Amino acid sequence: MLQPPEVTLTPLLPVLIVLAGALSSTLLGFWVSRRTLTFINLGATLLSALSLGTLWNRGVSSFGGSLQADNAALLLAFVILTGTLMTLLVTLDTAWRARVSFPEFDAMLMYAVTGCMLIAFSGDLIVMLIGLEIMSLSSYVLATLQGSRRAEESGLKYFLLGAAGSAVLIYGIAFVYGATGSLNYAAIAAKASVLTPENTGILVGGALLLLCGFAFKVALAPFHQWTPDVYGGAPTSVSLFLSTVVKVAAFAGMLRVFGGALNGAPGWHSVLQVLIAATLIIGNLAALRQMNFKRMLAYSAVAHTGFLAMALLGTPQTGGAALTYYLLVYTLMTAAALAIVAALQRGEEGMNILDLRGLYYRHPAYAVALAVCLASLAGLPPFAGFFGKYLVFQAAFQNGYEWLSVLAALTSVAALVYYLRPAMLMFMPDRTPAREYGLGQRTPTTLTVALGVVGVTALGLLPNIWYSWVANPAIWTLLVGR
Amino acid sequence: MNSFTDWLPTLMIFLPLAGSLLLLVTPKTFRDEVAGFIAALTLGAGLAIWRGGGSELFRWDWIPPLGITYSVQLGGVSLALALVTAFMSFIAILYAARRIPNPGPMLSLILAMETGLIGIFAAQDLMLFYVFFEDALIPALLMLAIYGKSGRMAALTKFAAYTLFGSLLMLVSIIGVRYIGGSPTFAMTDLKQNLVQGSAQTWLYLGFLAAMAVKLPLWPMHAWLPDFHEQNHDSGIPDVMGTLYKVGGYGIFTFAIPLFPDASLELRPVLMGLAAFTALYAAWIAFGQTDWKRLLAYAGLSHMGFVALGVFSLNETAVIGAMYLLAFQNLYTGALFLAVGMLQERIGSLDTRVGGVMTQAGALGGLTMALWFASIAVPGMAGFIGEFSILLGAYQVFPWLAFIAGITTIAAAAYALTAFQHTFWQARPAGAVRVPDLVHTEWLILTLPLAVAVLFGVYSAPALNLMQPAVRAVLTALGGN
Repeated sequence: MLQPPEVTLTPLLPVLIVLAGALSSTLLGFWVSRRTLTFINLGATLLSALSLGTLWNRGVSSFGGSLQADNAALLLAFVILTGTLMTLLVTLDTAWRARVSFPEFDAMLMYAVTGCMLIAFSGDLIVMLIGLEIMSLSSYVLATLQGSRRAEESGLKYFLLGAAGSAVLIYGIAFVYGATGSLNYAAIAAKASVLTPENTGILVGGALLLLCGFAFKVALAPFHQWTPDVYGGAPTSVSLFLSTVVKVAAFAGMLRVFGGALNGAPGWHSVLQVLIAATLIIGNLAALRQMNFKRMLAYSAVAHTGFLAMALLGTPQTGGAALTYYLLVYTLMTAAALAIVAALQRGEEGMNILDLRGLYYRHPAYAVALAVCLASLAGLPPFAGFFGKYLVFQAAFQNGYEWLSVLAALTSVAALVYYLRPAMLMFMPDRTPAREYGLGQRTPTTLTVALGVVGVTALGLLPNIWYSWVANPAIWTLLVGR
Repeated sequence: MNSFTDWLPTLMIFLPLAGSLLLLVTPKTFRDEVAGFIAALTLGAGLAIWRGGGSELFRWDWIPPLGITYSVQLGGVSLALALVTAFMSFIAILYAARRIPNPGPMLSLILAMETGLIGIFAAQDLMLFYVFFEDALIPALLMLAIYGKSGRMAALTKFAAYTLFGSLLMLVSIIGVRYIGGSPTFAMTDLKQNLVQGSAQTWLYLGFLAAMAVKLPLWPMHAWLPDFHEQNHDSGIPDVMGTLYKVGGYGIFTFAIPLFPDASLELRPVLMGLAAFTALYAAWIAFGQTDWKRLLAYAGLSHMGFVALGVFSLNETAVIGAMYLLAFQNLYTGALFLAVGMLQERIGSLDTRVGGVMTQAGALGGLTMALWFASIAVPGMAGFIGEFSILLGAYQVFPWLAFIAGITTIAAAAYALTAFQHTFWQARPAGAVRVPDLVHTEWLILTLPLAVAVLFGVYSAPALNLMQPAVRAVLTALGGN
């Protein structure tokens, strides 16, 4: 008689709900319209977010610790679901215009989210890798789905570089396994401190390969080259998804691996700080020269990667809290900014920065909202971006990376210039005819924008409403599992 | 402790912001009245605090896990500066309502900026100070973006880049001050008990100074200033707010001296030298200007050199003088910007080489001249007390630097009177338009600041009594220097 294995499904609940959304999109796509599917998926996303609440503080795990629903996972999953919600709302309006309005789009999107959730919930390197691959493969398809030359080119570029990144990552996993004899985060962390010198060398090699692999996924310089082309070439709603949800998931993986499993391992800190320095300089200076607003946001996403990664240099307690706070804020402001681009652009290549001139007099609400998002991205108080920036500066500073904090402050000046230019152009009076799509202002997009703007303002005035959830250091000391 | 007086500073800070938001939904016909009423109310709140002898420290834990508190206090120097800010914002609103065709956004921005400025002066927590410091910037940028002239984008970028370059370095310093010192919060009361020692203090002071030197402004961080004023709206209203935004001297006085006492003493010669140079250099450049706004910008820069000289000297007399000058130069420089705006409205240009305006617009000319007298520190005006005290104090520290800075007062008379003579006296060119004299509220707008400047020039005791204890308290941090 076949005996089913003993599996606790409770910790899997949020992932399963999202997966159910993906499967229903795959199957129901034959009978119902894509809009209906999107509404179903919106429901699944909300339901999954609710199920996170039921797991809070219970610390349950499944598959012998391979899958953990600890508080860290729940918080990161919440950020992922927030981004997903915003993406789905935007696709309700723009998918048709972007010629990606078929059921497969929704299915792929939800599969990608499933992968993202798995990364956040991972308790060992294999689950993390499975999640990462589900996420990546779905993203490649999403980037290519439009069927235009630009989309195909960007998708192919994404696929080739992403596959190379994955290969490096898998090689790194093999090294780590070779050095420690385990794939489980907790076991790796326990072994990392008591290794023989030969094994330490292998572990350092593995950590560095993992770092390269992740650097591809989150777009740390010099592994960032695909980002502007892919974000710029993909339909804007896909760019929104890639630059928020996918990036959050990749950072969740990095936090699990570097903040948890390999935190005690030598070597990677010094390499990471060089990568961050390069990212801050290259991302910010390159964004300064962009005239296409969407491409500029792509480069700004690279620059923000640098800030986000600074949190990994902090101790897990300060860094984890800083990273999770920043990720939510980053998701809200980036998604809202790209939602406005998606609504107002004429073609999928985005809009020229000079076209924003006088936007305030044509679409006052969107202009003010975009200005708030840009101010937040630039890190101006009282918007939440400021506290995000402050927290990562603090995390790095406290752990002895003063020079990196100073460098980050200096490169931020360039960031402020390129964020302020479009923000100010919008308020300059202009008498030339409008250069944006006139009918883009629709309820679901407006809802996304409102969510983002209200979010960054509320989190800026009272950061505690999110920070008090993530501030507890105990969450982050348990990153590796028990 | 009376609970209402505890809340007064908070009320004074956020009342303008509430008014600014209220204006967005106010019908067009009542906008001017509402804005004016809110500004007057804010000033009233300030006067009420003054009457009560300043407010106590009010503290509320804003973000406990991060150690950021909402600590505000208006007393002494901070109250004086907040009062001047509220007064000049009121004057600016009075003028904007009449001068600018559709003044809604401008009035909103003036009020929003007022909140930031009063917040800067009231903040007794470093992070809160930083938040207000950056907040005041956004309305200033928007004023320039919406109402500026053709070259505003470059001016805006320059202004923003300089300002933010400094303030981000200050942010790193702020983080450092708390962690290296080991203070539990960012509140000044806690930070003062956990001072950073040794060379780290010097480095952190330099980071802090980066922001303040831009705002003062101190040579070589001043390059944004003339463009900022030149590209702003002709009326001079944004310039008034820009004048109020020169909070560098105050920042150094309230935060840098108590937190970095050793570093302040160590760097004193260099900084005083820079300050004296800034004062003289700016006066020299001002002499060559033919645009009224640029002239005023450099004149303001020269005054700020004086303020810096006073603050950096760490001498009680000089510091009081610096704070006195900082407060009252906002008054007369602001009013001068408005006077220039009125001149522009009448003759359509900002050029100084117009000639003969005095013959037709006597009141405008007379009041402008009186304000210039205040500006060049003629005895009997508020500017004199400030500049004289600074020189008196600085002389006790470095006589030669005081001498160099002293030359500036002569240079000031030269540039101011030359430009004034070109515009208001000389011959009226043939066929020039007829220049009407002051009308309606314009009288109030120029006479009120002048009256205050004269009042505190003749009877300085109330202001000095307000400032002296605060200055003494700060300077005791230096160990009775």
